[in-house]
Amino acid sequence: MKKNDIQSKIEELDKMIEWFESDQFSINDALIKYEKAEILAGEIKTELNEIKNKVTVIKKRFDES
Amino acid sequence: METNLLSVSDFIALTNQTLEYAYPTVLIQGEVSSFNVNQGKFVFFDLKDNTGKIGCFMMLFNLRIALEDGMKVIVQASPKLTSLGKFSLTVQRIQPVGEGSIKKSFELLKEKLTKEGLFDDARKRQLPVIPKKVGVVSSTNAAGYADFIKISNDRWGGVEFLVADVSVQGLSASDQIISALEYFNSSDELVEVIVVIRGGGSSDDLAVFNDEKLVRTIALSRIPTLLGIGHETDITLAELASDRRASTPSNAAQILLPDKKDILNSVRHKLSMIGYLYQTELDRKLEHLNDSLKKVSNQISNLLENYLISLNSKVDKLTAYNPSTVLSKGYAVLRGELNPDSIIDIETYKKLIKAKVISVNEKK
Repeated sequence: MKKNDIQSKIEELDKMIEWFESDQFSINDALIKYEKAEILAGEIKTELNEIKNKVTVIKKRFDES
Repeated sequence: METNLLSVSDFIALTNQTLEYAYPTVLIQGEVSSFNVNQGKFVFFDLKDNTGKIGCFMMLFNLRIALEDGMKVIVQASPKLTSLGKFSLTVQRIQPVGEGSIKKSFELLKEKLTKEGLFDDARKRQLPVIPKKVGVVSSTNAAGYADFIKISNDRWGGVEFLVADVSVQGLSASDQIISALEYFNSSDELVEVIVVIRGGGSSDDLAVFNDEKLVRTIALSRIPTLLGIGHETDITLAELASDRRASTPSNAAQILLPDKKDILNSVRHKLSMIGYLYQTELDRKLEHLNDSLKKVSNQISNLLENYLISLNSKVDKLTAYNPSTVLSKGYAVLRGELNPDSIIDIETYKKLIKAKVISVNEKK
């Protein structure tokens, strides 16, 4: 089953925070990662605000034995 | 009046035909008495009121509630004259009625199913974090269903809800709900969670969710189940058997899906934190750079100072060896041959003198 895109993006954002807090942090890479984080946050916001639910009532009748 | 002459069997058959035509199914309310189970499969009891009594029969597998003498029930049954001439009701469905009977039936069944381990916490599964596909079992006419869908839409998007429209009260409700659960469990494309919801109601209305077969179906569902039966106080056996219970249909939506407002705030906070960490590290690096520059500057200054000191020392020494400095102290330079009567040049600090040598003697 395809992993929830928003969930994947949130997890990626969490990983970025971990990187910024870790020993691997470098100024050289930080700017690129920060810009990527901004893009990710924007995508999450767009998806959350725009995407809708789909409701389908099953045609099958459940009152027939 | 002429009537046909019938044998006993024919009369019984004719009577049953008449009953089947006139009363194919009846609903009767009464009190249970003389309840017993024969050979582990046949259930017999009498249904009585203040002045009358009818014998009832049913198969044990159709008995989906706990029953004992004294309980008030409603039966859905077909009347019949047995070959032995006994009038009885063949019961298809039975449910307790009235608070006392419902409570009694509930307690008996709860005890039985608890002993079997159906309600153990170890059996409970986690619901998926953000499901993409959800099965809903509810009446689409019910207010509880509308509340559930509305709250779900407010909280999150991108979810596909497949709705099984069923009755959630009445004699046939439990069978319909079971059918819907079995449908979702056997479908080719499985949903990630099944939500069963209905709004609040009386004890009679909620008795559906104490049906033994329904409770077992929920316990055996291979898909995690979330039940939102709209009441705060009494818990039904179906809820005990489910993986998670919600207090109301709206609460079911809150449990099922995160609130996107919370997620958006969290994302904003995460971005701020990244920005803060970046800025903090940048400031730290700049401070470190400044410190390093200062150190280098100090070292250069010290080095220069040392060089200057050394240079001055050398200059002092050189100055000391400068012939002008020697001459300024009163010394003189003689140039020429030191023989008597020869002419020599004498250079002092300020004068150039020509002189004649009178005599030259060795110093002792």
